[in-house]
Amino acid sequence: MCDYQKCKHWGGNQDYTSTRNKRKTHLCCDMAEVEDTLKRIQGYNGVIGSIVVNAEGIPIRTTLDNSTTVQYVGLLHQLTMKARSTIRDIDPQNDLTFLRIRSKKHEIMVAPDKEFLMIVIQSPTE
Amino acid sequence: MAEVDETMKRLQNQKGVQGIIIVNAEGIPIKSTLDNASTVQYAGNIHQLLMKARGIVRDIDPQNDLTFLRIRSKKNEVMIAPDKDYFLIVIQNPTE
Repeated sequence: MCDYQKCKHWGGNQDYTSTRNKRKTHLCCDMAEVEDTLKRIQGYNGVIGSIVVNAEGIPIRTTLDNSTTVQYVGLLHQLTMKARSTIRDIDPQNDLTFLRIRSKKHEIMVAPDKEFLMIVIQSPTE
Repeated sequence: MAEVDETMKRLQNQKGVQGIIIVNAEGIPIKSTLDNASTVQYAGNIHQLLMKARGIVRDIDPQNDLTFLRIRSKKNEVMIAPDKDYFLIVIQNPTE
């Protein structure tokens, strides 16, 4: 975990992100952590693909080909919105944290966030 | 019918299970362990979501079909098992 002033990147480019508890971490350290996480997830047995989507619905990271990515993002973005509004309709204080769509051939997991959306497709039988 | 009741009882006895609803193909709840208002609310909303999820799975691959749907929220988890003529909704509190 980047410790900002004590980090090896201190003194260079000071671009930082503020974490949830308002602690600063270098942008480059955060990006490295993101890349490590994506690599770890993609490395699991059975994982077919992973996609990270930004708030505008644009895929910013993907391990799949372009047309497949665009198709998944478009459809799952809509479904996530619908699932979120379903949860909120039932209880306005509640919010969606995870969505798992299991089909005959594979399983799609969607992790929504304030600014991003993560989609992972796996073949659960492997 | 007895088998259905037994299964529902078994599910209801699982730790954390808050409610079970069986809905028919038209979206009408036919069995429920929740009060009427909650049942109708869940059944209606989830029926729409289920149709959408099923449509998406088929759009991606027409040979594929939805087998299960899990919606996790801050307060609970809703699990939906669709079938040809019915679908089963189970609401649980996974932290219990």
